[in-house]
Amino acid sequence: MSVMSVRVIVLSACAKPLIAGLAMLLLAGPAFAHGALVDVAEVDAIRIQARYDTGEVMGNAQVAVFPPDDPAQPWLVGQTDATGHFVFTPDDRAGRWAIQVREAGHGAISYVEVGADGTTTITQGSAGLTWAQRLLMIACVFWGAIGTALYFRRPRPAKAA
Amino acid sequence: MHIPDGILPLGLTLGGWVAAGGLTAISLNRIAAQPDPRAALPRASMMTAAFFAASLIHIPIPPTSVHLMLSGLMGAMLGWYAIPAILIGLAFQAVMFGHGGLTTLGVNGVILGLPALAAFGLMRSMGHFAHPVMRALVSFATGAGAVLLAVALFTTVLLAGLPAHLDAVTERAAIMALAIAHLPLALAEGMIVAAVLTFLRRTSPEMIIAR
Repeated sequence: MSVMSVRVIVLSACAKPLIAGLAMLLLAGPAFAHGALVDVAEVDAIRIQARYDTGEVMGNAQVAVFPPDDPAQPWLVGQTDATGHFVFTPDDRAGRWAIQVREAGHGAISYVEVGADGTTTITQGSAGLTWAQRLLMIACVFWGAIGTALYFRRPRPAKAA
Repeated sequence: MHIPDGILPLGLTLGGWVAAGGLTAISLNRIAAQPDPRAALPRASMMTAAFFAASLIHIPIPPTSVHLMLSGLMGAMLGWYAIPAILIGLAFQAVMFGHGGLTTLGVNGVILGLPALAAFGLMRSMGHFAHPVMRALVSFATGAGAVLLAVALFTTVLLAGLPAHLDAVTERAAIMALAIAHLPLALAEGMIVAAVLTFLRRTSPEMIIAR
């Protein structure tokens, strides 16, 4: 009995890897039997680049994309790359998509209007200064310079003796 | 140090407006109680213009850049006039440069206005030293301290208003990096305030309210 027992033990030890190998073949069979396929197709995508007004790019800034029917809950979140770029493809919901980029409390929002036929119209959140703004600023600077000069040339009260 | 539109939740935005309204009401009352409230208006206008333009002066501090704030100088030179002056300057910065925002005007006014009032209080209580070096040191502390207080308020408001969808760890790290980048600005503004007040004490001491 004792010899038999020993044999059984030995057989079991030899059978373990064999059974395990068979099980692996059976269980892992589908992976070996089927290949993977990747379909590649061209799609229209939206690409943004986030920058500060100093020209510095907002690299690794956080991006939230809000769909037209839920402007409070982001549909997609992600980060810009090191060059400030972020690419996404909106789904088939027509309307105004909002893209918010923020970093350390600074940020901006731009909008993309997606039509029912798939056409897109981009609205920049901050498109820089217009000529009217520049003219108004120049006028303000001149007016400020005149006011400052008049302030320093004002008659001063005589000092008490 | 300007929080733009769309960054803060509604509660903080409204709270900022309420706080800024209260600060403005107190300031206008104190101004109205002065013997001649209009006497300091030209100086307030001039300093508002300087504050308005200062946000365009960027100082590169890698990996970011910061801009001048001048809260300490506004407080030292304008006293209670600093609050309306800062709010007007911020409104023009938002409209003309896109710095900050109109919905966040209240909270930005508090972030820059409270340090100005703190600077005013510090100068009024400790700016009477006879020794010029001590006066310059107090002026430096006024300018530098105002920047540090503004950064602390800015950081606190942003951390209190982080939206749930944001990666909080990344945003906190970015906010802390920006706060640290303002330390050299605190030194720079401290030196600016010390230099300007030292110059004005010699040439036109009547221009300093909190002397």
